[in-house]
Amino acid sequence: MAENPLPEKGLSAYRKVRNALLGSLTAVAFILAVTPLLAIVYVAYDRGKAALSLAFLTTMPGGFPVGIEGGIANGIAGSLILIFIASLLSVPVGIWAGLYLWDQSHTRLAKITRLLSDLLLGVPSVIWGVVGFFVFSTNTGFGFHWGFSGLAAGLTLGFIMIPIVTRVTEQALRDVPRSYIEGALALGASRFQVVRGLAIPAAITGIGTGILLGVLNVLGQTAPLVFTNYYNTGIPKSLVGSNGSVGDLAMQIFIYIHEPSKELHVKAMAAALVLTVIVLLLDMGIRLLAWGSRKYAQRMG
Amino acid sequence: MENGTQEPLVPKIAVKNFSAFYGKTQALHNVDFTIYERKITAMIGPSGCGKSTFLRSLNRMNDFFQGFRVEGSATLDGEEIYGPAVNPVLIRQRVGMVFQKPNPFQKSIFENVAYGLRIQGVKSRSVLSDIVEKSLKAAALWDEVKDRLNGSAFSLSGGQQQRLCIARALAVEPEVILLDEPASALDPISTARIEELMQDLKDRYTIAIVTHNMQQAARVSDRTAFFLDGTLVEVNDTTKIFTNPEDSRTEDYITGRFG
Ligand SMILES: Nc1ncnc2c1ncn2[C@@H]1O[C@H](COP(=O)(O)OP(=O)(O)OP(=O)(O)O)[C@@H](O)[C@H]1O
Ligand SMILES: [Mg+2]
Repeated sequence: MAENPLPEKGLSAYRKVRNALLGSLTAVAFILAVTPLLAIVYVAYDRGKAALSLAFLTTMPGGFPVGIEGGIANGIAGSLILIFIASLLSVPVGIWAGLYLWDQSHTRLAKITRLLSDLLLGVPSVIWGVVGFFVFSTNTGFGFHWGFSGLAAGLTLGFIMIPIVTRVTEQALRDVPRSYIEGALALGASRFQVVRGLAIPAAITGIGTGILLGVLNVLGQTAPLVFTNYYNTGIPKSLVGSNGSVGDLAMQIFIYIHEPSKELHVKAMAAALVLTVIVLLLDMGIRLLAWGSRKYAQRMG
Repeated sequence: MENGTQEPLVPKIAVKNFSAFYGKTQALHNVDFTIYERKITAMIGPSGCGKSTFLRSLNRMNDFFQGFRVEGSATLDGEEIYGPAVNPVLIRQRVGMVFQKPNPFQKSIFENVAYGLRIQGVKSRSVLSDIVEKSLKAAALWDEVKDRLNGSAFSLSGGQQQRLCIARALAVEPEVILLDEPASALDPISTARIEELMQDLKDRYTIAIVTHNMQQAARVSDRTAFFLDGTLVEVNDTTKIFTNPEDSRTEDYITGRFG
């Protein structure tokens, strides 16, 4: 390379070997990092392409065993409902908690909150499911008695999301330079004005990423659903009670794969591809939203 | 260099027996100091002697450090800056600050200057435009940016960014402007512009500046204070400090024997 200021000849044998070694390690790491995504897309497409069509996305499953005919509209609708309920709970609570941890970072309550939220991050999702079942679904728990339902599952998933959103929000706010905040405070801005007008816009990409991470986590969960929602082949009219279960893509894939039917296996792989594409679209959507709100904040006060 | 002996000196900020602590460490020891209206007061002293601590105490910017506290008295126009009923936000509106490193917001040039007014609730576009123009002119930046007010503040050079930060501080019409080494990150030409600017501003504002540059203190200020290890060693007319200091430690410092 012409622009390399260090002539290759001048390098000692040791450094040449080291450079080559580190270079190949980087290449290997890169390949290892992207291969799984390519593999998922390839396998899902290859095994599921026979079932893919527009109707697959828009029709309800039918036939026997259920799903032999029709598509996965129940799963798509149900997953979106669950994400919506989970976000409704976790986004405001998580952002609020993240703001609190950032603002009051040295107080004892903040330290305890941070510790608890880290512990919650490590709780296996099966346990969330069992607790969600006890709290929301049965009549022996807290008296909600919502049965296997979208609301019970959505809230359980929401509680899984809260610590994710909290910690990512706090970290994103921490990454806002102190000098930036001080500049506003020195102009007589109140803490609230600084948070709303400067800190959050500056951290919005990070916060958006946190929400996305939470949503993606929720999209892939099956264990909590087994206990709080299970699965519905239709779209429910209510989100609570004995007919309140919703469909769910991850559950649908899980159930189809366990059926001894070639057609359902193909549909499971097609559904997996749809789920992957939804994830990618959500990712892009959040990025666009973050970009837009940053532009907006730059223009406005 | 005029030393202001003709007109009477009016105290703007008066500090008496003032001490400041970060937790258990004491950063300022019993400082007695007066900053006079429409004068430029320079603060010099070796690194870590408490200049920034002192400056930031005057508009309560240190409140945000965990465990910071003060003892003694500091008044602005006779009113206690640390009085129990005082709203620090109002103090900061009256006592503006410019930092060592230019810290413009991630906004347009216009919005940077308008920010302080917007948070006070000013919405009228024409009022904002007027004040933005006036402030940029006062900060000697208007001619350079008038055609690109909606451009990003980050597209300006370091020196321009610092003048933008001065314009931003001026826009809220403070009575006092505190500058903490405002030129230390700038090239000599930008530094000269900032120094000129201070001379223009002192007719209307009370200015306190921390600097590591002795020549700068001598060039721009009317009064100079020398700090050492958290104590105020000497404060006097700048000409007196630089020609005939009373304390031998001041003399040692300005002649470069330590620090
Ligand atoms: N946020 C803080 N927490 C704890 N101690 C601090 C803090 N800021 C400053 N100090 C301490 O207070 C003392 C005075 O610091 P200060 O920043 O006021 O010095 P300075 O004169 O401005 O130095 P410099 O010329 O390097 O800017 C130093 O010993 C410093 O370590
Ligand atoms: Mg300093």
